[in-house]
Amino acid sequence: MATVKINVQHINPFVDAVHELFDTMLGVAAKRGNPRRLPKDAKPQEVVGMIGISGSARGVVAAGFPKDTSIRVVGKLLCCELTEFDDIVSDGIAEVVNMIAGNAKAKLAENHEAPLDLSLPTVLSGSDFRIESPADCIWIEVPFTSALGEFELRLMFEAE
Amino acid sequence: MRALVVDDSAVMRKMLTTALERAGIQEVDHAKDGQEAVDACKTTDFEIILMDWNMPNMLGIDAVREIRGSGKSTPIVMVTTEAERKRVIEALQAGANNYIIKPFDANTIVEKIKVVIDKAKMVT
Repeated sequence: MATVKINVQHINPFVDAVHELFDTMLGVAAKRGNPRRLPKDAKPQEVVGMIGISGSARGVVAAGFPKDTSIRVVGKLLCCELTEFDDIVSDGIAEVVNMIAGNAKAKLAENHEAPLDLSLPTVLSGSDFRIESPADCIWIEVPFTSALGEFELRLMFEAE
Repeated sequence: MRALVVDDSAVMRKMLTTALERAGIQEVDHAKDGQEAVDACKTTDFEIILMDWNMPNMLGIDAVREIRGSGKSTPIVMVTTEAERKRVIEALQAGANNYIIKPFDANTIVEKIKVVIDKAKMVT
């Protein structure tokens, strides 16, 4: 199978997947800001759910949240009020990024774009960590605002 | 009535348990992967099984094949992010009775669960 370079056109299915997730499961609108290319040393959010993309294209999709927002998002999923970041919140953020990536993967397949495989999700949390990536890769960030707080979608892919 | 929720996500297990309770299921057992689901089906008869696709140890689709291979006709609903048409067909061919794509609306999943249970009652 030929390798497909992920490009900016491939970002839209991931953005649409964020909107669908928030509309359908959280009952909250997510408003998209302007996408931007991130510098290599861009600081991640306190809570980051990540999934590796492989198959006909390679990259990473990541959803980053301030800790308080991650707690509110998972609380909304479970229809209860959570007060602290714990294993349940971490698990919920993993599921959130899993649903975003899975939904986008299906949209890309429908468009005959890039058939993709996804890794199991990983969640990183803390106030002082860095996410390193190969030199020929770029990160694009799409910021969102919502009633649950601000968050961001980040996509890493190989530069064309 | 007793149901089995199979998902490696604790949050998803809780969400699906709530949906099953809203659909009138009183008892809900949990499994974290396909192998645990296959093992649970050997000892317990469930009215419905909600099955994720991507899980460690054994995929949900493989668990569906094993459960059907053992002769069990328990209604199985796939609840998964695998939204591609070919995946839906693969699951139905393996023996799944219905297919729900994540993300899902809570009311929609409750209604689908009720429909699957009602259909099973009509057959038996």
